[in-house]
Amino acid sequence: MAAFLRSKCPSVGRTLMGSLGNSLFGAANSSVEAVARPSHCDAISQQIRTFIQMRTNLKVVDNSGAKRVMCIQSLRGKKGARLGDTIIGSVKEAQPRGKVKKGDVVYGVVVRAAMKKGRSDGSEVQFDDNAIVLVNNKGELIGTRVFGPVPHELRKKKHLKILALAEHIV
Amino acid sequence: MRLEKCWFCSSTIYPGHGIQFVRNDAKIFRFCRSKCHKNFKMKRNPRKVKWTKAYRQLHGKDMTKDTTFEFERKRNRPERYDRNLTEQTLKAIPLITKIRHDRLEKHISNRHKPGKRKEMEKDSKELDQDIGMLPKKLISNEVTAEKTKIKVKVVQQQTEDNAMEE
Repeated sequence: MAAFLRSKCPSVGRTLMGSLGNSLFGAANSSVEAVARPSHCDAISQQIRTFIQMRTNLKVVDNSGAKRVMCIQSLRGKKGARLGDTIIGSVKEAQPRGKVKKGDVVYGVVVRAAMKKGRSDGSEVQFDDNAIVLVNNKGELIGTRVFGPVPHELRKKKHLKILALAEHIV
Repeated sequence: MRLEKCWFCSSTIYPGHGIQFVRNDAKIFRFCRSKCHKNFKMKRNPRKVKWTKAYRQLHGKDMTKDTTFEFERKRNRPERYDRNLTEQTLKAIPLITKIRHDRLEKHISNRHKPGKRKEMEKDSKELDQDIGMLPKKLISNEVTAEKTKIKVKVVQQQTEDNAMEE
């Protein structure tokens, strides 16, 4: 099925293939919808959003110096991390003069997840991308600024510093 | 608790329904059901999708300006609880909804009126012109009687004159 989709949609993004690959190997029980005729735009927009697992690339949204981090371990959940959880990652791309360098192993808090998270009032929230904020193993922020919207789920997880620095709380 | 409006179809989203999508520029899109969410992901413009309120109001199908819409404004300041006020508001809400609904129906039936009149005219014209195309059995007895009533008068006096002349 992966090969079939690949042949039909040549310009599909890396994440779709990555998430499908992960679901085939990993323990994630992501429901893959059987798309009868996958048109170009359907395949891209009807992406299956799953957990943040090993090999998931995440965007770093603080000024710690890192740009992209690849998850190597999720510290919560058998299937993977969700919104508000902490992960261990390896820095894949970093700015030249920053607090972290490429190849460092860092902790991070997930501040935006493309997978929907249910709230206690029954609604569900979903963001546009997967983003983290780098943290040390005690839970203190490495960077001093946070960019983009941030959910108020972090309040319950006691990441109050992130909420304080956030531009916009959803 | 707040009743939101669906970004795509403009219907109310009750608590426990729908999905909120937060874009990276912090704009929140709320959807009432997956139909609207999927249409959004397909990048469809609600102003072009026929069943949405946005399309209908843009193309004059539904009424846009009415005083009943004034009652439903987004209020960010919470009102101090007053039992009387709450009671009156709760009594007024179904009244306002009914009035708005009636006005909307009137607007739509007014919109249909000229079209209906044209249809009637066209139908009656067709009946007059083409009644002969129908088989005789289908046409009612009255109509056949009217049609067959027109008889040509036989002129008998001339033949008598001719006979008399000769």
